[in-house]
Amino acid sequence: MAEHTVAAFDEDLGQISRLISDMGDLAGSMVGGATKALLNSDNALAQRVVSDDAIMDARQRELDDRAITLIAKRQPMADDLRHVVGSIRMAGDLERIGDLAKNIAKRVGTVGLSATPRDLSHSIDAMAQLVLIQVQGVVEEYAAGDAAALAKLRNDDERIDVKYTSVFRELLTYMMEDPRNITACTHLLFCAKNLERIGDHVTNIAENAYYVLTGTQLPANRPKQDETAMSAPAA
Amino acid sequence: MKPMLSTELNTPEVVVEKAKIEVRNLNFYYGQSKALKDINLSLPERSVTAFIGPSGCGKSTLLRVLNRIYELYPKQSAEGQVLLDGKNILDRSQDLNLLRTKIGMVFQKPTPFPMSIYENIAFGVRLYEKISKSEMDGRVEQALKRAALWTEVKDKLNASGLSLSGGQQQRLCIARTVAVKPEVILLDEPASALDPLSTAKIEELIDELQADYTIVIVTHNMQQAARVSKQTAFMYLGELVEFDRTEKIFTSPREKRTQDYITGRFG
Repeated sequence: MAEHTVAAFDEDLGQISRLISDMGDLAGSMVGGATKALLNSDNALAQRVVSDDAIMDARQRELDDRAITLIAKRQPMADDLRHVVGSIRMAGDLERIGDLAKNIAKRVGTVGLSATPRDLSHSIDAMAQLVLIQVQGVVEEYAAGDAAALAKLRNDDERIDVKYTSVFRELLTYMMEDPRNITACTHLLFCAKNLERIGDHVTNIAENAYYVLTGTQLPANRPKQDETAMSAPAA
Repeated sequence: MKPMLSTELNTPEVVVEKAKIEVRNLNFYYGQSKALKDINLSLPERSVTAFIGPSGCGKSTLLRVLNRIYELYPKQSAEGQVLLDGKNILDRSQDLNLLRTKIGMVFQKPTPFPMSIYENIAFGVRLYEKISKSEMDGRVEQALKRAALWTEVKDKLNASGLSLSGGQQQRLCIARTVAVKPEVILLDEPASALDPLSTAKIEELIDELQADYTIVIVTHNMQQAARVSKQTAFMYLGELVEFDRTEKIFTSPREKRTQDYITGRFG
């Protein structure tokens, strides 16, 4: 893309891109850290994730300020306009990913005190890996300007949904097998739900990024299934 | 089922239900120099169309062809067709005075006549119609109201048109244009010499006038084009590069040249 006649316009847009990239990296590190802390009962790491959320919030506020100032000063059009508005929305989703990672991290201490958390959280590990790949992928593909990869990545969220359904069933089974697992499994269920929500925010980011890059929206309906309702035990 | 917004935004062309003006294979020359190259365009009735593009792209030239005002100058010629309600106005048999009552024009710099506010409007009407004093009073009032100027000048209709502010003078020119009951109004940078408040009044006026008139506006102010028009034509080096719905042009244009121009990446 050619440079703007006003060089400062490019600098302003570049700063917004850098903030999105930073927030994306931080989101990836927070999701990875929260999962690792959960699996290893690592309270120190969990604490770091919790404190990282403040940095994430500060970045989002800075991005909002810069984007609003840019709109006021430069009245961006076409791809520039999509870039700025898309960045505001993506930053909102990244900030929510940070919140959800923090929620997982805050449960580390409680799950750790319960019985055999490591065995119970095994299936969450696989789910977390899928989510982490999505979080890291969306930021990379946006930076690379690969719209086709973003469309694929958005559809890949289905795999997380399917995994969530299986984690839900598995944890439910543990709870039915031994009521002493209920406390840990309930916390883990919330963690799984948080991971599933992170996947949804990644989907939003992919949709926004696709629109920013192409100027067209992806179709509204995406394959989605939540079979957890069917897993409720018979009365 | 109602189509999705995304589908609407992706519709590539302007859908013209009823064209007021159709430009077909239009070429224009300043002497030997070709200023417009094979322009084809349909302007929908009772709607605002904006022409945008860098200086020298041909947008003002195209506007000047639409009422043949270029004929006031030597060595300027147009080839092709400009159909107003299906009739070619470039035809030699076209009565130019009649054409210019149907297609009024407002220029960049306000051009009130050096006479009273009342006479500025009555003068044009008298050229085409013989009406009584009371009818003329009514016509002047109606035109000034239509141009959102009435409340500001109703107590000083005998004051000189030149005594008004720039924004008021421009609205007086619009009133003068409206008074002869045109069908099309051509606006050549009508607000470029005005302060933001006067500009807003002109834009509000354009918005109201489009219910009754087909309006074509040439502007360098892209936000203005985005605000006031329903469809926008981007011109470059005498060519029509892209013509589409205004939302599409300003959010995701198809052509790279359009994108580069409206985002400030030209030159």
